[in-house]
Amino acid sequence: MSFKLIYKKQNEERELPNENYTIRDLLNDLELSPQTIVSKQNGELVIEDTVIQEDDEIQLVQIIYGG
Amino acid sequence: MQCSKCGNPKVIYKREQSGQLLCKDCFIDSIEKKVIRTVRKEKLLDKGDKVLVALSGGKDSVTTLEILNSFREMNIIDICAVTVDEGIANYRQEGVDIARRHAKRLGIEHKVVSLKEDYGITLDEIMQTPNHRGSCTYCGVFRRTIINKAAREMGATKIATGHNLDDEVQAIMMNYLEGNTDNLGKLGAKTESKAEEFTVKIKPLREIPEREIGLYVVAKELEVHFDSCPYAMQSFRGEVSELINQLAEKHPTIKYSTLRGYDKIKNVLKNEMQKEYAHGRCRRCGEPSANELCKACSFLEELGV
Repeated sequence: MSFKLIYKKQNEERELPNENYTIRDLLNDLELSPQTIVSKQNGELVIEDTVIQEDDEIQLVQIIYGG
Repeated sequence: MQCSKCGNPKVIYKREQSGQLLCKDCFIDSIEKKVIRTVRKEKLLDKGDKVLVALSGGKDSVTTLEILNSFREMNIIDICAVTVDEGIANYRQEGVDIARRHAKRLGIEHKVVSLKEDYGITLDEIMQTPNHRGSCTYCGVFRRTIINKAAREMGATKIATGHNLDDEVQAIMMNYLEGNTDNLGKLGAKTESKAEEFTVKIKPLREIPEREIGLYVVAKELEVHFDSCPYAMQSFRGEVSELINQLAEKHPTIKYSTLRGYDKIKNVLKNEMQKEYAHGRCRRCGEPSANELCKACSFLEELGV
């Protein structure tokens, strides 16, 4: 069970740790603040409570930078 | 889960402060309507205005341009834009190119002014000099002077900047914490100076949280320059911003209440606390200045330029 993660120049396959793994859980694991990121699931904007499905393409776009 | 306004199941945003869920179209519509409400409530625009948008190519200025353009399409105002090229290698060029493309797309008059052409030195070069000040100090002062001059040259009656809710709340708290009551009284949706040479400044995005502007440009697929300035450092603004964001996690309405509270006391502050400045001219460049040299020229003299 895996999904594809696209973040900045990163493009990687990641394991799905459990069935109810949400984008919020992913952001926590990557130590990214949901306040600075918007998320896309298979090309469509979604909220962080969205559960990631097998073979999903999850894209994280950083919209807020310090300074 | 469905959009609180239209019932669409494709929700893209949850407003923490109200629990409202929004689909893409309703989210975009809510941002545009809110900015238009701010413009009307604060009387930011007058019919026939020529508004100069300070366009960096970042999310805030591109959103300002995009939404103000709806007033231009209704023939209420005219718009022009200026982009300041500070001379920051591997950073600024992309924003300049994006700004050019937006101006071309909308068919508006656009000017790129560089620090190098105007002052003979880039920000990168300034930061190589010994005993230099903080980069943001130079950048802020030079940019403000360049934008003011451009507004006069292009015949603009207003200058619109992309300051958002987060920027404004940070400024309120920073000035309060520093005890700077003089600068505290100068914030707000519309700032006018007694000196005629300073064009009125307006902040149409003042009530929109930074995150919602980021989501707006992604949802509308507007091309913007998402990147961090290489000179961004741990500033006092950064510390204040972090504190406010921490508080906002438990108290989602705190940015709005800070802004509303400020707006209630602003007039008292302005009337009671603001100093009277002498209105003279800078002996070096002729720009309006309270002192013999304006801030930009005093920096240039310090730098030996």
